[in-house]
Amino acid sequence: MGFPKQVKKQIQLVPPKTLSARREQLLEYINKDGTYLPKSVLHADLDKGMLEFVKEELRTVVSGKVVPTVDILITTQNWSQFTETWNFVDLDKNVSPPFITTVRNPEVKYGSNPSLLYTIPNRKQYYYATVPTWDGQRKGLDIYTIPQPVPVDITYSVKFVCNRMRELNELNKNVLQKFSSRQAYTFIKGQYVPIILQNISDESVVDLDKRKYYIQSYEFLMMGYLIDEEEFEVKPAISRTVQLLEAKTSRGGRKKSYPKNPSLFPLTFNFSAGTTAYTENYKYTADLSFEGMENISSWDVYINDDFYGSDLTEIQLTSGNNLTLNITPTDPSSDSQIVYIARLI
Amino acid sequence: MEKKVPITRLGKFFGGEDFTLDIDMGEEWLEGDMNFTFVLYKVDKYKTKTDDVYGEALSGGIQYLPPIELKGMVQIVAPTNQRLGNSKIEQSEPGNLKVSIYQRTLDDLQTDINFGDYIGYYETESRVRYYSVSDDGRVNSDNKHTYGGYKPFYRTIIATPVTSNEFNGV
Repeated sequence: MGFPKQVKKQIQLVPPKTLSARREQLLEYINKDGTYLPKSVLHADLDKGMLEFVKEELRTVVSGKVVPTVDILITTQNWSQFTETWNFVDLDKNVSPPFITTVRNPEVKYGSNPSLLYTIPNRKQYYYATVPTWDGQRKGLDIYTIPQPVPVDITYSVKFVCNRMRELNELNKNVLQKFSSRQAYTFIKGQYVPIILQNISDESVVDLDKRKYYIQSYEFLMMGYLIDEEEFEVKPAISRTVQLLEAKTSRGGRKKSYPKNPSLFPLTFNFSAGTTAYTENYKYTADLSFEGMENISSWDVYINDDFYGSDLTEIQLTSGNNLTLNITPTDPSSDSQIVYIARLI
Repeated sequence: MEKKVPITRLGKFFGGEDFTLDIDMGEEWLEGDMNFTFVLYKVDKYKTKTDDVYGEALSGGIQYLPPIELKGMVQIVAPTNQRLGNSKIEQSEPGNLKVSIYQRTLDDLQTDINFGDYIGYYETESRVRYYSVSDDGRVNSDNKHTYGGYKPFYRTIIATPVTSNEFNGV
């Protein structure tokens, strides 16, 4: 039965923060030791974060000694390699295994971090903080705005060079434990940047007529983002306001009401008992449609004293016309009525 | 009793006495005139503590029998400038060691050179480079190693350089 080796020498008396308190804490990390704005996170910062991640989080101990790491990314300048490897070289000044080195693919691609991917166009500035100011005479505020960070994907290959299988196993165990949840995080200027393990491959040299050694390559994808402080904007906010109020002193009259002005309305022609003709001059142009009648057997229509028709259901009136209706009542002793619907043209 | 068959090849103009004479002269030239010396470290397979699974010794854990100083014709291949795999770590990889040694020398010293043994070769008074035998030349039946087909008389050993954390001699 195994015995637990992980002995906790200190007990955490203050419980870790959660929810909004934790979010506040993360924000404090970002603003720590600086202005109210976050600090720039650029390519070099991401690279440094990766190197620190390899050195600290993938720390590998073999035979009681920490496997050294090359703490810079080897670039095109050959002399720089020696500055980081001089303390673990052999008699030929070659780097002596075991050691860990990190290679960055030079190309940095647009990021695939889903929380940042093509969500806000045109580098729109967003409110970040309101900061109080004092110019010696009056208080004011500055409004800090920043654009959405630009996502970047950087691929790193962490190479472990050694000549024993046990050493390979040790680093492999560390990597797989660290990335058992697919991703791990490195802490760069107060911000957690995710790293994903993409592939493990072998580049070992086991030729018969060559020096034999193992090289195992771990390919990591850093889903980072660029924050450039050159893009931050600080604008002065409103420091003083003047409020003007205009009041009307005279009493206003009642608003005049006007009747509705419909384009469609009924036109009723009433004939009292004994009356059979009706004439009226119209000042508008309209089409009249027959709607109904009472106590009328037939009627004749005259416009400007010209006969227009009998028992008409449609009458077209032009402005200025004299309309004359002659009716023949069914019962001459009773009132009569004829109704048209006028539609203004 | 071991069965022996006389070698009568090339008998009309070459025989055992000529063969021995030529080797004598060769040894005189090699050990007297050339005098290339290297040290053989034979791995003590009983005392060396190895990994149970992989059979690897820890750093500095290889135990060896008493070193033997040998004479042979030593050639060292030119180094190559190369990178370690796809890492950007550049290094000058030292060349292999190629040693030709008379079989009689080994027989006289009652020793043998085996695959995996280590060889130390002093390049200067204070600088020694170690190699691991990758080809012990035990099969020497070809014409070159048999004096034109008479009898095998020397071996060619090829050894590759090792790093100090694998073997660091004394």
